[in-house]
Amino acid sequence: MLIACIVIFKYMNSKTLLCIKGANIGMMDYSKFISKLSSRRKPSCISELRRALDNCSPSLVWLASGMPNPEKFPFREMTVTLEGGKKLTLSKETLSAGLQYGPSHGYLPFRNQLKRMVEQWHAPPRWAESDLIVTVGNQDGISKALDMLLDPEDFIVVPDPCYSDFLCMLSSLAPQIVAVSVDDQGMRPDILQSALEKAISSGSTGIPKALYLVPNSCNPTGTNMGEERRQEIYAIAQQYDLIILEDDPYCFLQFNDKYLPSFLSMDVDGRVLRFDSFSKVVSSGLRIGFVTGPPPLLQGITLHMQASCICPPMLSQVLIHELLTSWGDEGFKKHISDICQFYKEQRDAMIQALKTHLTGICEWIVPEGGIFVWLKVLHLSDTSAMLLERGAKGDIVLVPGREFMVDSTKPSPYMRAAYSCVTPEEMMKGMENLAKLIQKEIELQSTHT
Amino acid sequence: MKYSRFLTQVSRNRQPSLIREMTNLLAQASPELVFMAGGLPNAQMFPFQAGSITLKDGRALTIHPKLMMDCLQYGPTPGYPPLVKQLKDLTQQLHSPPRWAEMDLIVTAGSQDGLCKALEMMISPGDYVVTQEPCYTGTLSILKPYKPRYLPISGDQNGMCPEALKAALSKWKPEEVQDTEKDVPKVLYVNPNACNPTGVSLPEDRRQEIYKIASEYNLIILEDDPYYFVQFGDRKDFPPSFLSMDVDCRVIRFDSFSKILSSGLRIGYVTGPKPLVERIVLHAQVSLLHAPAMSQVLVSELLKLWGDEGFFKHTDAVQAFYLDQRNAMLEAAEKHLSDLCEWAVPTGGMFLWLKVPKIHDTWDMILERALTKNVILVPGKAFMCDSSKPCQYMRAAFSIVSPENMDKGCKNLAELIS
Repeated sequence: MLIACIVIFKYMNSKTLLCIKGANIGMMDYSKFISKLSSRRKPSCISELRRALDNCSPSLVWLASGMPNPEKFPFREMTVTLEGGKKLTLSKETLSAGLQYGPSHGYLPFRNQLKRMVEQWHAPPRWAESDLIVTVGNQDGISKALDMLLDPEDFIVVPDPCYSDFLCMLSSLAPQIVAVSVDDQGMRPDILQSALEKAISSGSTGIPKALYLVPNSCNPTGTNMGEERRQEIYAIAQQYDLIILEDDPYCFLQFNDKYLPSFLSMDVDGRVLRFDSFSKVVSSGLRIGFVTGPPPLLQGITLHMQASCICPPMLSQVLIHELLTSWGDEGFKKHISDICQFYKEQRDAMIQALKTHLTGICEWIVPEGGIFVWLKVLHLSDTSAMLLERGAKGDIVLVPGREFMVDSTKPSPYMRAAYSCVTPEEMMKGMENLAKLIQKEIELQSTHT
Repeated sequence: MKYSRFLTQVSRNRQPSLIREMTNLLAQASPELVFMAGGLPNAQMFPFQAGSITLKDGRALTIHPKLMMDCLQYGPTPGYPPLVKQLKDLTQQLHSPPRWAEMDLIVTAGSQDGLCKALEMMISPGDYVVTQEPCYTGTLSILKPYKPRYLPISGDQNGMCPEALKAALSKWKPEEVQDTEKDVPKVLYVNPNACNPTGVSLPEDRRQEIYKIASEYNLIILEDDPYYFVQFGDRKDFPPSFLSMDVDCRVIRFDSFSKILSSGLRIGYVTGPKPLVERIVLHAQVSLLHAPAMSQVLVSELLKLWGDEGFFKHTDAVQAFYLDQRNAMLEAAEKHLSDLCEWAVPTGGMFLWLKVPKIHDTWDMILERALTKNVILVPGKAFMCDSSKPCQYMRAAFSIVSPENMDKGCKNLAELIS
């Protein structure tokens, strides 16, 4: 597993750009991507006033901002114990920072730390023109990116099946959806191309604005998109001038030595917004993610954050910053290695349970990372009723495939199983229960026909 | 009340996430149930095991390993259940909402996130918004992209004037607009206590009049009350909240811990009619998922350790501190600014709202010349719904500045104005 991590950190030198057009020297025109609503967001007057602080005299009396007085916050000291027993005590200044309002785009030492990591892992070709902001979990970043990009008549490209929460976001915004079927590597370029052609010639006033994908251990299919496929998709995004929303929460949960270049690492145009998450590796509950991309696009997200949560949770940022500092690169690599080891064993136990009980009943692709297996039931056309109405009684609950389809009215023989939190014994029992549930369902279907 | 009238199309479109709904199955499930539906990471792999926080009064909050898991793992969108219960109990104790059984509560990442989601739930581009003026800049920032048609309601040293509210709404007949959805005002925003930026509070009789008018015109009242605990005076003399008089179930109330416990933790909460809080929960479900878990656990454990007595002892101490700050600020203002400025005595919070009668507009004075006089405050225009109009006011914050610096600041300000 250490090898996989070394590969990650050595990756930065690999730059095989097969199909991608040559580097765009000029800046993209980002104004065309910003929704009408987002274009009207403005920074607060008080943040403009803060810029006055940059060159002020030490005798400036600052009566402008409504920060509460931190002397009245009741917390004095904080210590956390890490795995292995090491203790981290926050200094007075650090705890202070953790308890007071901070900048909307993130706690500066933490942002700097993350920028160094992103540069190291991805060596984005337009790094000098990129920036990074911290968000309240990566999903909030995605939600605000959609709010920023989409006018109601615009098109957004999604894989089909797609991460269900993303479809939930779209169902409320109700843009026009371009659904692209997938194979064992994700979005199919031929279908993507023809779907975009159809959208453009539809006579709509909207334009295809963005393309969303989860390139590693895709939720729900568990597939990884190969390097060549990524380059093909990037080239198509160039051709149709799309923003690529690279949602990559499982990038650190890859089990083998084959590390795949991110869209950010091949982004010669500055069209990628990359969404990273700490939820699978450090903590989901602290609600910390980050977004890397072109400043004109990050600006729209930051202004929305300024108006809503004001800043990402400061204590969460401070804690993760202290943790990463205490670990250094070596400690981080070791932690990722331990996590991959754990989830790989979970995956292996899951595959064993599937082979034992569901051979001939279901089909599946062995995931090379992440926490999901995407199962197809061979002799059922739809799994929803079985799982939702009879699953709990059969002591097994999985998510029906329909939940992930762009058209959720069509039947789906698929199901998504998560193997992150169950023990190998529970997996065996669960798959045994599932086999019985499916058999019963097949009998039930045949008595009705 | 029919709540669908108040919702934007986007908000109406929101559906619950099936996966989150399925997680509720766990509550009634047999112990034999193998649950593989959620996408939770395994919390055993999170690197923090335990923690300890020492409080300023010397006591400690211990985060043992099981509690640390609650801090680090995904939680329910409405909030960490023990904290939700504590906040519901506190709300019931302080406000006794008359229709409590029809209300719900959600913990948010700061009260402003709740306010933002409430406004996004109800305002479409071009909609009317009835608001106090001057108005908190954060609220104006939320609304700016929607280009609302503001009905700004002026106030005096007792806050929003009900007569001005009546006058602004008089172009409509109540009985004609009660059920109308388009082109009528449906939302009223107000800071009832220690208003930002004016520092004044609405007395009880005005609140009742305003509620009555809102009821006649079928408006939702957004009661934004982050300075509730920083009102000066005895707690038993606090005027009743809009929530406490909400016989129609039309108030959405926003509470905050930012001024009394911590602003950086990002914890606030929203109380309101179930159908409206549900829309906010659905929005949170697909965006931030929930307020930061560790922050929620810390607040919950702190409240548990303190009990009611300890909590109110703390809020009394915070109030006393800001009262001292206010008094020092007033002294400095009286010493240097009594010929140049007018002001109302703040009844809570941390702001002094200064009028400069001899100046037409404070904007240029502050943005272009204040630095040379070593004092910065916020020009009043920032708080106006129409930022093209001149404004003679400025807002000074007295939360963090020392009495010495207040004196210096007011002296510098006097020089600037002259």
